[in-house]
Amino acid sequence: MGLFQKLVNFLGVRRREVNVLVVGLNNSGKTTVVNSFKSEDDKVSDIVPTVGFSVERFQNQNLAFTAFDMSGHGRYRDLWEHYYKDCHGIIFVIDSSDRLRLVVVKEELDLLLQHPDVCQKKIPILFFANKMDFKESLSSVKIAAALGLDKIMDKPWHIAASNALTGEGLQEGVEWLTQQIREILSVKG
Amino acid sequence: MSAFKREKKEEEDGGGNPFQNIEKTSVLQEARIFNETSVNPRKCTPILTKLLYMLNQGEQLSAKEATDVFFAMTKLFQSKDVILRRLVYLGIKELSSIADDVIIVTSSLTKDMTGKEDMYRAAAIRALCSITDATMLQAIERYMKQAIVDRNPAVSSAALVSSLHMTKFAPEVVKRWVNEAQEAVNSDNIMVQYHALGLLYHIRKTDRLAVTKLVSRLTRMSLKSPYAVCMLIRISAKLIEEEGSDSNSPYFEYIESCFRHKSEMVVYEAAHAIVNLDRTSSRELAQAISVLQLFCGAPKPTLRFAAVRTLNQVAISHPTAVTACNIDLENLITDSNRSIATLAITTLLKTGAESSVDRLMKQIASFVSEISDEFKVVVVQAIQALALKFPRKHSVLMNFLSAMLRDEGGLEYKASIADTIITIIEDNPEAKETGLAHLCEFIEDCEHISLAVRILNLLGKEGPKTKQPSRYIRFIYNRVILECPSIRAAAVSAMAQFGASCPNLLENIQVLLARCQMDSDDEVRDRATYYSSILNRNDKSLYNNYVLDTLQVSIPALERSLKEYSQSNTDQPFDIKAVPVAAVTKPDEHEVKQKSEGMLISNGPARAPPASREENFAERLSALPDVNLLGSLFKSSEVVELTESETEYVVRCVKHSYARHIVLQFDCLNTLDDQLLENVRVQLDPSEGYEIIKEIPCPKLPYNETGTVYIILKFPEDDLQNSIGTFGAVLKFLVKDCDPATGIPDIDAGYDDEYMLEDLEVTLGDQIQKVSKANWGAAWEEAEASSYEMEDTYALSSMNSLEEAVGNIIKFLGLQPAERSDKVPKDKTTHTLLLAGIFRGGIDILVRAKLALADGVTMQLTVRSQDEGVSDLITSVVG
Repeated sequence: MGLFQKLVNFLGVRRREVNVLVVGLNNSGKTTVVNSFKSEDDKVSDIVPTVGFSVERFQNQNLAFTAFDMSGHGRYRDLWEHYYKDCHGIIFVIDSSDRLRLVVVKEELDLLLQHPDVCQKKIPILFFANKMDFKESLSSVKIAAALGLDKIMDKPWHIAASNALTGEGLQEGVEWLTQQIREILSVKG
Repeated sequence: MSAFKREKKEEEDGGGNPFQNIEKTSVLQEARIFNETSVNPRKCTPILTKLLYMLNQGEQLSAKEATDVFFAMTKLFQSKDVILRRLVYLGIKELSSIADDVIIVTSSLTKDMTGKEDMYRAAAIRALCSITDATMLQAIERYMKQAIVDRNPAVSSAALVSSLHMTKFAPEVVKRWVNEAQEAVNSDNIMVQYHALGLLYHIRKTDRLAVTKLVSRLTRMSLKSPYAVCMLIRISAKLIEEEGSDSNSPYFEYIESCFRHKSEMVVYEAAHAIVNLDRTSSRELAQAISVLQLFCGAPKPTLRFAAVRTLNQVAISHPTAVTACNIDLENLITDSNRSIATLAITTLLKTGAESSVDRLMKQIASFVSEISDEFKVVVVQAIQALALKFPRKHSVLMNFLSAMLRDEGGLEYKASIADTIITIIEDNPEAKETGLAHLCEFIEDCEHISLAVRILNLLGKEGPKTKQPSRYIRFIYNRVILECPSIRAAAVSAMAQFGASCPNLLENIQVLLARCQMDSDDEVRDRATYYSSILNRNDKSLYNNYVLDTLQVSIPALERSLKEYSQSNTDQPFDIKAVPVAAVTKPDEHEVKQKSEGMLISNGPARAPPASREENFAERLSALPDVNLLGSLFKSSEVVELTESETEYVVRCVKHSYARHIVLQFDCLNTLDDQLLENVRVQLDPSEGYEIIKEIPCPKLPYNETGTVYIILKFPEDDLQNSIGTFGAVLKFLVKDCDPATGIPDIDAGYDDEYMLEDLEVTLGDQIQKVSKANWGAAWEEAEASSYEMEDTYALSSMNSLEEAVGNIIKFLGLQPAERSDKVPKDKTTHTLLLAGIFRGGIDILVRAKLALADGVTMQLTVRSQDEGVSDLITSVVG
């Protein structure tokens, strides 16, 4: 890295680019979450199930995020692992009204945490307990307990209740994520 | 700095390919850069280009390598660089067939194809179609429909062409897009209109009525795109062929009206279509030819080329019409474009008179070295046609061919020359000696192994029959000294043939073979030892069976039997009689025809040659429980239709003969969509002496599926006369009415029904396998002592010519003509037909039919076979 670039980074003038991975079961609201981060002009009005993945961009506090919005369909969940390697953060979206499939969520989360590309690294994980507006929704505390999040010792994590349709709770979560990634980058850089 | 200099120097030297020395591993290594967090288009673009170059050069990636690089590539979707992104689309298309889980990019591509950036859209559609399968197509159907009618012509074209590709795996889904395609036909863009017509036709081409409607609608509205008009002309021409309509049909009028189109391409296409129609009257033909004649004088070389090429193709079918253009063609001989000149000359050769041959040959000779191999082959073919037309000119042509043989050239070119010489030799006995001499000279310096082996084989067959066989020995033995093992082996075989057929040369041949036994190659030594020990015996019948005649069993079957034998661990010696005899294969005329016809959709890569019919049947039959006890399959007959082709149930029969049994295979097709047939069987009324061993019914026959019923019969024992008979047959089954849409029966109970079939005949031909005897005469003499001879005379009053009689006899007896006796020389009143074959159970049959033409044809038939009953059967059946 040239001297000039070092200086630029030090001053924080240049925007840093980071990759985050958005995962979760199908119909948990991943694409909607990402959609509400985007700037007004880029937003899509109708959201259809994602097949495979799609790449989206948004910014938060001088960090340029590239989000890999993965498909949550059972058939494509094996493909998440191809994108673990180079991500700086993971956003895990949970449908908090879907009590039945919470065990599936746990299973997928455990698989993710055990993956060699993830378990070695200190990647911040942001959980969105989405669809909090539903009456039958579980609270974020209950979900954290059900998923056994307290057992995650080696990675920073945070759970935020959210409603992706209105955008409620999203900003708070993503600010936490930005903070974490910034810290990790400054340690490294 | 020094590295830079070196690079610069290399650039100056080679000036060539920057990708010359790329290696797979290093490119894959470099491709890891795609995974970096922020994509650098400047670095990624050349690497992706290298990857594409490498794949297009034929480098193979394993599934894992491909998947890895594919997923690395998917990360490039975050870049906004247009060039890089478009390279990614290309990469997806290349890797879609090798990598796993390519479906992952579906959403990204649908986003791009519906996005704002026009540069992405068309390419994204093409990439999307390459990764989609039938199950995923539903998900993107909406986007495809939109894209077909998109205002951007590139997008619309891409969607149309991709849909055409997708009909291969999801025809039903694509059919639903017909309305969108219809709309696209009305587009103003010439390419969109053309592609839309292509898709529409492809969707409807199985439905004749829909195609006629389409054509009559489009011929009335004037299409803007000349490409679409060309396509419409082709479709119309196809309809004319299929319907057999004459020159009054509206399609014909349409094609004719295209002569007045303003685009030259369309005019040419119309002329081409009319010239190639089977049923063109002379009036239309003259019109088309005059259009082509006009093009012969056109300033554009492409037009001249197209015109002269078409004239060349039709010169054989309509020689008189083409003669009208002779003056124009003469002018084209000196055309600066050699391809045009070549075609012009060969056309003239095809149509010209005998007197002009010498002059034209001289013309060709002046520039033959300047044209490419492909056109040289055209010249050679013209010469072949000429030689057959004017046998007296063979010396001129032969000299020319030998000069061409000595020139540089690829295998295909040389092979076509050798083929031509061989055809001339076969057709014209006068040319034989000179032709063989030229070929001998050619193999002295021939770099193509396969060709040398073929010529040596021919020399072995034809050489001994010439006046001075000894002169060929020197050429053949030279090969033993100078060439590679496979040619040496062929040369040894050829020499052995001389030894077997020319007793006065035998001693010398033995000396040469003895020398060959010291060869360094196993195959050559084996052959030399084998032949010299046979020739030592001095036994005519051994010569015939083991030197002059080649192995008659089917090679794949022999391989299989030998493999089974070596695994079976028995003490019994291997019985070659148990191996099925190979059917004599005819050259596939059908395929050649298709080649010239294939125009609407290009052919894929050449398929592997299919296994013989018998092999396929044998495999299917041996899966049946009782059939595998019958021994090996002897012969399968042609398919016999037992119903009219458009009835409720279509039944076809194939007769499979075994040594003592016959298996009848009935392929039944149910064409009623509201019926489900169960327990389908054929009730057979066999003629006297036959015994039904077993019936294997077909349990279920749904709509539009083919089911098979088998019946195993035993041939009449010790009574060959009765083995020819006619069986009555009735199809019996249980009908269940069902819902046409689902195919599920309405009620459980059905009712019995039956359907009369046409009578089935078991003929003599079903029991005889064709065998080609290279040396029929020798076999005939040998058989005189050892076999039963029968002779009879017949009057074939219904035959009017010798050709007709010969054709009918061959078809009736199912025997193979030997020594080209199936070709009747012109203007002769007598002919001798020589036939050979094997009766089921491995009995050799030789038949000689002497024919004389008077009022009708008189035939004296002589049969020699090892079994009295068989000889008797053949003579009695003919009457």
